[in-house]
Amino acid sequence: MTIASHPYAFIALFVAVAAAFPLGLLLVCRLWVWAFQPPKPSPVKNGIYECGLEAKGDSWIQFKAHYYLYAILFLIFDVEVLFLLPFAAAFNVLSWGALFVMLAFIFLLAEGLVWAWNRGHLEWK
Amino acid sequence: MTIGLYHYLVLAVTLFAIGFFGVLLRKNTLIIYMCLELMLVAATLALVAFSRFNGTIEGNVFVFFILTVAAAEVAVGLAIVVALFRRRGTVDVAKLNALKN
Amino acid sequence: MNATINYAELVYALRPEIALTLGLLLALGYDMAFGRRMSDCARRGVAVLIGIVTLASAVFQTLHTNVPPVGHAAYWFHGAFVYDTLAHGVRLGVFGLSALTLLLIAGSIPHSALRTPHFKHPAEYVAIQLLATMGFSLMAVSNNLLIAFLGFELASLSLYVMAGFDKTSRASAEASLKYFLFGGMAAAFMLFGFSLIYGMTGTIVLPEIARALAVQGPSPLLLVALVMVLVGFGYKAAAAPFHQWAPDVYQGAPAPAAALIASASKLAGFAFFARLLFSGLGTVSGDAINFGGPAGWIMAVIIISAASMLLGNIAALAQTNARRLIAYSAIAHAGIMLLGVIAVRAEGAGPLFYYALTYGIATIGVFGVFAAIERTAPCQRISDLAGLWKRSPFLALVLFVCVLSLAGIPPLAGFFGKFYLFAAALYLNGLMSPAGWLAFLAIAMSAVGLYYYLVILKAALVTNATAGTSASTEKIRVPLGTVIALATSAALTIALGIWPDVVLGLFK
Repeated sequence: MTIASHPYAFIALFVAVAAAFPLGLLLVCRLWVWAFQPPKPSPVKNGIYECGLEAKGDSWIQFKAHYYLYAILFLIFDVEVLFLLPFAAAFNVLSWGALFVMLAFIFLLAEGLVWAWNRGHLEWK
Repeated sequence: MTIGLYHYLVLAVTLFAIGFFGVLLRKNTLIIYMCLELMLVAATLALVAFSRFNGTIEGNVFVFFILTVAAAEVAVGLAIVVALFRRRGTVDVAKLNALKN
Repeated sequence: MNATINYAELVYALRPEIALTLGLLLALGYDMAFGRRMSDCARRGVAVLIGIVTLASAVFQTLHTNVPPVGHAAYWFHGAFVYDTLAHGVRLGVFGLSALTLLLIAGSIPHSALRTPHFKHPAEYVAIQLLATMGFSLMAVSNNLLIAFLGFELASLSLYVMAGFDKTSRASAEASLKYFLFGGMAAAFMLFGFSLIYGMTGTIVLPEIARALAVQGPSPLLLVALVMVLVGFGYKAAAAPFHQWAPDVYQGAPAPAAALIASASKLAGFAFFARLLFSGLGTVSGDAINFGGPAGWIMAVIIISAASMLLGNIAALAQTNARRLIAYSAIAHAGIMLLGVIAVRAEGAGPLFYYALTYGIATIGVFGVFAAIERTAPCQRISDLAGLWKRSPFLALVLFVCVLSLAGIPPLAGFFGKFYLFAAALYLNGLMSPAGWLAFLAIAMSAVGLYYYLVILKAALVTNATAGTSASTEKIRVPLGTVIALATSAALTIALGIWPDVVLGLFK
């Protein structure tokens, strides 16, 4: 595939595709809803879970904030690995300075964990 | 047809545009977050493609840091949503209108 | 890749940042070990004290850095960092401004939250503010797109948290969310622009980008990249049409956080973009001196600047909320600072730096006064300021000095900031150039701005708090930290107005 030789044609294509794709999708969604899914709201249909049972309370309160805190703490160490892996792969050719920098990095992450521990975020209440 | 730089770029721009329109049109904060992430991923894809076709390593290194920043951004964003939900009971941006003249 | 990486140079380049890191670890560590046994007041005091000492040591480290002579720059760590007069000045400036806003914490306990302390976690607040300051400092010395992006995001993410730190307030969380959504979008735009620039030039180091672009010349793809980078810039500067977050954040965020967003964040942002635009994209800047020159980012900056001045000044006239008024005036000031970015070509970064610094000091003064008033009564509407001169003559005096400086009345610093900036812009090619017209517009709009600044002063100094108004008549006891911060801002506003060469001399 070749793009037309004029440089502006390339940009025009960019913009056209970029605008047309999401707008086209939205248009298709609207058409679909208009043709096949006219809104017929009812208490049953608007229920939180469409499983035939009546939900008790709001779905939002079912999750404790602790789930979320655990996820964040997991994220810290998840991302840590991202940086440790290239470091480990190139370990043989790296200097002591690199080791020191990496230790400082791990120390800072560990500080975050210690802080969360100290604040009691690791205890399940 | 071989897949070249232009194809990656068109894909990246398309992803970026989907994310952008999502941020503008969606009302649920969590969906907006996903669209924000989509915009970052689009930039990441462009960087990786450029890195591959330029033959330089900087783009790949950039991506490592973008992933970290995106993770941090999600952490902060979700914290804000949790704080907001506790006070307002909603995450619908159309209902956030306490700040007015 | 170069196997001999000089880590000693990295440590040398980042000494102030390392000092900040150690300081925030100390603040958190001390609070973890002893915080529970202390009263809220002592806890806050210790956290602020550690923060101030940390910033002082960062200033000390900065002062012991070799600054190359004006017009030269030192490059560290394989060109990742640059150090010149601008970087030096901005580092000192953001540390100083950050210290001033830290002092305000002692005074910031809003009326609604007297039972539940506003800053329940002072150590965390101080730590996050130090992180934000670190981001500003990195933005000041970054010489490649990666460090720039990381500094930008570190500062932004910290500021989102600070804007939403008041967990008892609905407005705070909402302000934080709006700031986050706009900021996240702007960061994505800027990042995409960066990736396009990297794709075109094959490098992320600013001077090398400039060299590559000089060879390639302007291209449509480059224009797209420039527009995307400028969206990120416009957001950070709160310039129209990317300003929508500013009034909400200024209104809803805790006063010290709003003060930091309005002062140090602006200073670092403008310095960072002056460097990015001139050092990295300088060869495709276009022409601000003559009409009909080649197109480049200067024309876009001129349009954003004019839009900000018009929108900021005119929208501010309609405000009844004092904080929103200051926010719209900040948008107008951002327009003037964008003019300063263009004028960097004529007179160097001196006038821009002086303007951003003195603007930041005066804004901290104004927000400090709001924070102090909030100890006894709400301070949102302009009518809430009524009778301030009877409730606290000191606060009224500080507000008088700082607001007049924002309005640009001689002999205060704000006047000389405007004066040097307009002079530099006119120096490009007199009135007969886009920059000259913009300077003319800025002067006209400053006259409009005078009106709404006088509205604030009239409310605070002339109007009495009568039974009909909502304003309290209770005397205000200003805490020591706030007194120090406010007295320093007012004194600096006057002193830098009388001796502007203290700052401008750095750049000569």
